Amino acid sequence: MKPIEKEYELFIGPNHPGATGNMSYHIWVEGDKVKKAETRVGYLHRGFEKLMEKRIWMQNVPLVCRICVPEPDVNEASYSMAVEDLMGWEIPERAKYIRTIILEMARISAHLLTVGGIAASLGIYTAAQWGVGDRDYLLDVFEQITGARVYHIYIWPGGVRWDVPKNTKELLTKVLDYLEKRMPLYEDLIIKNKVFIRRAADVGVIPKDKAIEWGVTGPNLRAAGYQLDFRKLEPYAAYDKIDFEVPYYPKLGEYEVLSDGSDIYTRTAIRMLEMQQSINIIRQALKDMPEGDVLLKHPQWFAWKVPAGYSYVRVESSKGEFGYFVVSDGGKKPVRVHVRGPSYTHGINVMETIAKGLNVADFAPTAISLDVCPPDIER
Amino acid sequence: MMAKELFPEAQELRKGRIRIETIKDKVTEIIKKLKENGYGHFVMLSCVDWIKEGKFELVYQMWSYEYREHVMISIKIAREGDSMVTLRDLFPQIETYEREIHEMFGVNFVGNPRLGEFILEGWPHMPPMRKDFDTEKFVKELYYKIPEVKEE
Amino acid sequence: MTLNHDDWGKVARMMSKRSLWMVHFCTGCGAMEMPPVMTSRYDMERFGMHAMATPRQADVFLVTGYLAVKTLKRVVQVYEQMRDPKYVIGFGSCTINGGMYWDSYNTIKDLSKYIPVDVYIAGCMPRPEAIIDSFLKLMDMIDKGEAIGWKKYHKYYDQYKKNQRMAYAYRLDEVEDIKEDDAK
Repeated sequence: MKPIEKEYELFIGPNHPGATGNMSYHIWVEGDKVKKAETRVGYLHRGFEKLMEKRIWMQNVPLVCRICVPEPDVNEASYSMAVEDLMGWEIPERAKYIRTIILEMARISAHLLTVGGIAASLGIYTAAQWGVGDRDYLLDVFEQITGARVYHIYIWPGGVRWDVPKNTKELLTKVLDYLEKRMPLYEDLIIKNKVFIRRAADVGVIPKDKAIEWGVTGPNLRAAGYQLDFRKLEPYAAYDKIDFEVPYYPKLGEYEVLSDGSDIYTRTAIRMLEMQQSINIIRQALKDMPEGDVLLKHPQWFAWKVPAGYSYVRVESSKGEFGYFVVSDGGKKPVRVHVRGPSYTHGINVMETIAKGLNVADFAPTAISLDVCPPDIER
Repeated sequence: MMAKELFPEAQELRKGRIRIETIKDKVTEIIKKLKENGYGHFVMLSCVDWIKEGKFELVYQMWSYEYREHVMISIKIAREGDSMVTLRDLFPQIETYEREIHEMFGVNFVGNPRLGEFILEGWPHMPPMRKDFDTEKFVKELYYKIPEVKEE
Repeated sequence: MTLNHDDWGKVARMMSKRSLWMVHFCTGCGAMEMPPVMTSRYDMERFGMHAMATPRQADVFLVTGYLAVKTLKRVVQVYEQMRDPKYVIGFGSCTINGGMYWDSYNTIKDLSKYIPVDVYIAGCMPRPEAIIDSFLKLMDMIDKGEAIGWKKYHKYYDQYKKNQRMAYAYRLDEVEDIKEDDAK
């Protein structure tokens, strides 16, 4: 029997478990196939960029971390780096290593959520439960170091706020050992799971030749076969002193190459490999971390005047390129701070284009595998 | 070819950061030329409100994975009654940035069919990111004035 | 012994407080602390609580954090779709007084002006323990018959609606009909 073909409109989100946060997709469906998709955002718009113009440079640090909730530290780091760039500051060596550790911890915790989320959208709910559970071990370490679970406000212009506690090495090593032991279990549950492979391989493909032109960055770009990572291209913090490899398609390590890349399967595999790489980076940073100061001796915070100029600073976040464009006119407050979130291109243009021809059931996994985080779209 | 060789007037802010100040009519040509010469990643389009000069500054930012160089192409247009031509054919994500800047600053991009409500919904006032829009005053006159529900 | 109407109310409240279902709607950044609360570590299913995708089958609405006006429209719609009795928990400082977005043009400052709130959790971001504590407090209030936000919404419906329309229109004077058409 031939199915009746008729065009329907569907709203995925904002109140929908398959939506990646508070955003929605408006899709036109014929039978089972998506004909057209439009992203609707703005549910989380708080006007950060306007608020930042009203506050002095230092007051903006607690604001910026709210821009990306699963991974707030990249915002603090990139904002601080932009201010340091304009001020011409060189931060202490120890602070660089601490930043590296914090950023990599944030990457692992964001990837655990995403990998769990991709699996959950395909019906493997155990992975999501595990991901959230394991992430809590990292949050506990965050709490020991910074004093907070989610919004740390730990990295700020001139270094980090205080030195890490003396037992950080033991604490972190314990958690990293645990996570390393868990990785094979995640592999069995997700990457080597036949159900997952059949649903994820060759689904939601970003054309490889278009990836750079469309502004795809981060793990999604590496899944398309480019070995490009801003930690290597423009090293910040202490990444230039650390030896690590960036996983990319088709070098998937011990995972099988099952598809032509750039699909849900490869994006998940890349994220799994990146977690292992991050564990390796943290271990090295803990080993090599020098002694010394962690914060520059700044002038009084309220008296800061940042020299006039333009600065663009980027950080490789778990989702892609996170950039801060900061303009100063030499005053106590910024003239303009513009945030480039990786989801801006992934969530709107890329998603709208690759959604055409997708099966409705594959829509949510595709959106989640691009790791779209709505707060960094609308800010 | 690197940006400095293509455009001798380019100014180097620091290593890997190039800034080109130009005029409205030349932008399309410059971006096309950069795209052909290895600057394949369009990073962002940003708008700065220089209210004292009465100008908006549009900053087109591109990055080359090959040369590891970031180029900011900056133009100034008048705050009122001026417009810019859309560049959505060059890079698809420019369309989204133009939609946002149209909504937040009120800059008109000729040729972009998707301008209109994007982030806000039913916003009746001046575009909120303009410097002369006072958010504190607005909040005090709206949200704090909405009465609490009176119980009898 | 015969039970009168009031006694049956007590029984119903005692039963309902142990099977509260929560709307699965992540309205703001507070939604980040919900996964730990829902899963193994803090495990809210101990209290008979569970996330529900559809508002019609849910009892509790957690408004997790700041509300942009665009979200407020959806929140009110979801709240009105829920069936009585229904309870609202205001999550985080932003729902109490705007929090750090006190001067933002697009977020509402006091949630109780638009929908009745039964319990507030202070802090940014509230810890999972605080969330669990608020659930227990809500259960206690339901048991005692103090969680009467939904009754207030019926009684002062006009006032709530008027406030909502002012926020939707970003104007104090404008009181026009809201667009019922959602999702745009």
